[in-house]
Amino acid sequence: MLTLTKDRALALALLLIVAVMWVESGNIRPPTSWQPYGSALFPRILLVVTGLLSLLILVRSLITGAPARTEPRRSFVQWLGHNRTVFSLFGLFGLYAALLPVLGYLVATLTFLVTSLGLLLGIDSRRKWIINLAVSFTLVPLVYVIFRFGLNVWLP
Amino acid sequence: MADFFLQALGQVSSPSVLALIVIGVLFGIIGGSIPGFTVTMAILVVFPFTFAMDPVSGVSLMVGVFVGGYSGGIVSGVMLGIPGTPSSITTVYDGYPMAQNGEPGRALGIGVAASFLGTLISVAVLVFFGPLIASFSMNFRPWEITALIVFALTLVAGLSSGALIKGLLAAALGLLITTVGYDRNSNLRFDFGLPALGSGFEILPVMIGIFAFSQLMGNLEKLRDEQGKIKGVDTSVTIPYGRILKDMGSQKLNTLRSSLIGSLVGALPGTGGTVANFISYDQAKKFSKHPETFGKGTPSGIVASEASNSAVAGGAFVPTLALGIPGDLPMAIMMGVLILHGITPGPLMFEQNPVLVGAIYASLLIGAVIMVLCQLLLVRWFAKISLIPQEVLVPVVLMLCAIGSYALNNNLFDIWVLFVFGVIGYLLWKAGVPLTPLILGVVLGNNLERQLFRALELDESWMTFLTRPLSALFLALAVASVIFSLYQDRKIQHNQLRARNLPEQ
Repeated sequence: MLTLTKDRALALALLLIVAVMWVESGNIRPPTSWQPYGSALFPRILLVVTGLLSLLILVRSLITGAPARTEPRRSFVQWLGHNRTVFSLFGLFGLYAALLPVLGYLVATLTFLVTSLGLLLGIDSRRKWIINLAVSFTLVPLVYVIFRFGLNVWLP
Repeated sequence: MADFFLQALGQVSSPSVLALIVIGVLFGIIGGSIPGFTVTMAILVVFPFTFAMDPVSGVSLMVGVFVGGYSGGIVSGVMLGIPGTPSSITTVYDGYPMAQNGEPGRALGIGVAASFLGTLISVAVLVFFGPLIASFSMNFRPWEITALIVFALTLVAGLSSGALIKGLLAAALGLLITTVGYDRNSNLRFDFGLPALGSGFEILPVMIGIFAFSQLMGNLEKLRDEQGKIKGVDTSVTIPYGRILKDMGSQKLNTLRSSLIGSLVGALPGTGGTVANFISYDQAKKFSKHPETFGKGTPSGIVASEASNSAVAGGAFVPTLALGIPGDLPMAIMMGVLILHGITPGPLMFEQNPVLVGAIYASLLIGAVIMVLCQLLLVRWFAKISLIPQEVLVPVVLMLCAIGSYALNNNLFDIWVLFVFGVIGYLLWKAGVPLTPLILGVVLGNNLERQLFRALELDESWMTFLTRPLSALFLALAVASVIFSLYQDRKIQHNQLRARNLPEQ
């Protein structure tokens, strides 16, 4: 059975993207007498290049075979557990982006910083909490003041 | 030349701009001294603060970060034995042993002095060659510029450490990203029915997302794998000024050679401080009468390393300002700053914005002086700051990236762009795709398309790209760089295979 290596996953994902974008490029206004090359030519050249290079990576990875494992194979749950910090941080950032317009800069950013610092530093000691709250409650208002009053940029 | 330089010097010497350069240098040194933070990240974090500034102030702040950042690696390199930035790896080879031998102040002092001289020499190179190359490139027509951009992209892709195909793929993806939204003919492309995509992606959130997320998450993964062990450090440092003057007196040739190597390498696309660092260290060792002392704490090693990586600053500005082609990531971001302020880097910049060009020269010079003062006076504080744990840095930088992206247009959609490209950048990085060609593709994409179609509108034959000598030369160089990289890739694979087979024989 074929293993889904990083190269194969990359190539397949890109080939899918290329296919979707190629179809979408059909919606671009066609060439006219005063725009003989049209707006679709440049992206289509790039899509062909991207597709060919992805195909090359796929073929090469099929010929060379899957690289030898240096670590034992992990189940999906184990793999999620191994990378939980990174994935959680991505999740927290996504949540932050979603909550920013709802809660406003000060509340949303404070929540994001306190939570993500708690995630990375830990919450099992008083010292960690002091660092967490000191960093969050100093930086968030400071950035607000710099942008709002120093640079005249409105924050949500 | 003298007139615009004096005018620029007058503007840069105003208290507010000087204060910005000081802030930039301080932030750059701090960024460069924190292992895993890098000069590029420092520049990215400061970039949004320039939005509301006039071009001279914004560029001066960024140049300050640039100068400080390239010298900041000395601190953690000497005190912790960990290079603060990849461009100060060889500083560790001799700086750390010297510090371990009880002379951290001497190591830091030599490094700072070499860094200062390297920056000065590179500014001289920039002042001399920048206008020359710009005036030569005034003859470039759309065919030459198209071919030059293709050459720069293939060169950068080819230098992606044994991953040519992925490097080329990254460059193509970067170019593809710039095709979203309205094009030069006001035709809509790849909006997928979403009105927000109509105006395309802003360069800044795309760049920050791709670079910052992958690097920050990479730092976290490294921390997890290393179980987060941080060394303690003795920050009580005294600088022996007399000894350093004597040391530097015996390093004149080494300083000049290393600075010139740094300037030259900095001017080549896709190379940057790390390459300059290794070449210069290697050359210093080869020219030395005592090569056996290298790696054991010799001043020659520190001088070679620090003079070369700081000299990259001036050299890297040459292609960016003169040709509008950034050679590396920090320069791509610097170009983004200029574009944001309505200035298009390229040969015309020397004619249309001479004062701004002069301001860059002046900021580099003033930044170098401020860098020496800051480093010598505040070194023990920088050593302490370099111990800030990644667990604190990562969320703070992510927050600053989000606010920076928003502040660009007061648009929350840009934070989503940052996030989505952050995920894409992280996944590509995990798949071993080099991200520098991708970012260069994003920066150069619009210009490439514009120049390509301008060329075809002037002459519909594609063969003109091959019949014009300079255009043909650049394209031939692009092909040669791909072939050379393929050869290098094969050689690396062959060596790896041989190394794998050796134990079995």
